[in-house]
Amino acid sequence: MTSVNHQWATHLPLAALVFGLLVACGPARVVVEGQFPPPLIEPLPLTLGVWYSDDFAGHEFFDESKSRHESSWIVSTGAAQVQMWDTLLAGMFTRVVHLQTRPRPGQPIPNVDAVLIPHVAELQYAIPAHTSVKVYEIWMRYRFDLLDAGGGTIAEWGMTSYGKTPTAFLQSDQDAVNLAAVMALRDAGANFAANFNRVPAIAHWLREKDVPTATDTP
Amino acid sequence: MRPCIRTLLFCAGLSMLGGCVTATVDEQVYNAPTEGIGEDSVVILGRRHASDYETEPDFVSCVGDYIQSGDNSITVIDELEFLNAVYPWFEPRTAPLHPVDIERLLKQKPVAQKMAALRVEYMIWLDGSTERTGGSGSMTCSFGGCFGFGTWGHDANYEATIWDFTDKAEVGHVNTSATGQSYMPAVIVPIPIIAPVQGTACDGIGQQLLQFLSSKY
Repeated sequence: MTSVNHQWATHLPLAALVFGLLVACGPARVVVEGQFPPPLIEPLPLTLGVWYSDDFAGHEFFDESKSRHESSWIVSTGAAQVQMWDTLLAGMFTRVVHLQTRPRPGQPIPNVDAVLIPHVAELQYAIPAHTSVKVYEIWMRYRFDLLDAGGGTIAEWGMTSYGKTPTAFLQSDQDAVNLAAVMALRDAGANFAANFNRVPAIAHWLREKDVPTATDTP
Repeated sequence: MRPCIRTLLFCAGLSMLGGCVTATVDEQVYNAPTEGIGEDSVVILGRRHASDYETEPDFVSCVGDYIQSGDNSITVIDELEFLNAVYPWFEPRTAPLHPVDIERLLKQKPVAQKMAALRVEYMIWLDGSTERTGGSGSMTCSFGGCFGFGTWGHDANYEATIWDFTDKAEVGHVNTSATGQSYMPAVIVPIPIIAPVQGTACDGIGQQLLQFLSSKY
């Protein structure tokens, strides 16, 4: 028994080295983390239901390397997406309710004025190794469904967001991609907050509900 | 003194040498406050609209630090703190591009209240970046050390635009450009002699802004 333990102790550094090399050969992984401030905005006097699908809450982007000199990338934005949208929506509406089941078209949804369903339709990234520009970039395209309390569609619309960060001394590619993703999420929040009332179908619905809107926002 | 300590001191001395930097500052100011800015505060923000460069956050904080170290009675609001406090109205997508846009922004009650609480009197936009402008030389490293010589240049160009938040008007411009050449000779140990290009640009623009904002200068 003692000799078996001794054998393990001898092989442990080698196993750790092999494991380390295998990990080093794997894709570059970024789990996006950041702080998102609440919006400085007059909240709309509405109760908004929000539904995050599993695809949205666990959103992950995988880009396989095109050559042996490049690394594959996995960028997980799901947790940061939920964090940002929860903070933003809580500041934009007087009350936000998280739905436990996916709303179905035509099925009434109790105790809410509307339900928002966000989707990440596309994510692209660029690092200086891909381009001649010394910035890291993340670009995202969102799709939103806004349903009324009766389950009917109020609006379906799309929105893009973009974040970039410059190269910096002693900053790893992963840190820079994380920062660019945080900037892209902030931009998504800014775009949504500034333009929500301007989506024609939403503006019409808000007028019907007699909700005052600040249409003269910059 | 032991030889190794002498060598270390020699290396440290050499690395403290800076490469050559040439800087020019161009200033155009219309209405500088004669009594300084008093109890009010100033916020310095980086412009981040261009697709191929970004005004570096560390340059923005360098200029802020320069102003505060020159006159500690001036309150300079930290850039990220300000951006978070007024989110989402000063993000690259939504930030006002002209002083008249402030009027529309202040029509929103929460924004007007926040600005009043922060006592922002001047808003200074910094736009520009420091770029590497090529290099030459070669260096070979092995177990015996490194041998060779390398050189590269840096080019910094920044513009500061001063907005008077009360009058909603542009009251000044400061441009600075700095170029410098850095060197790295290597005889066993590489010794970087770095030209402080961005730091020189920061000092140049910071000095002009300090003269504008402070009653002491």
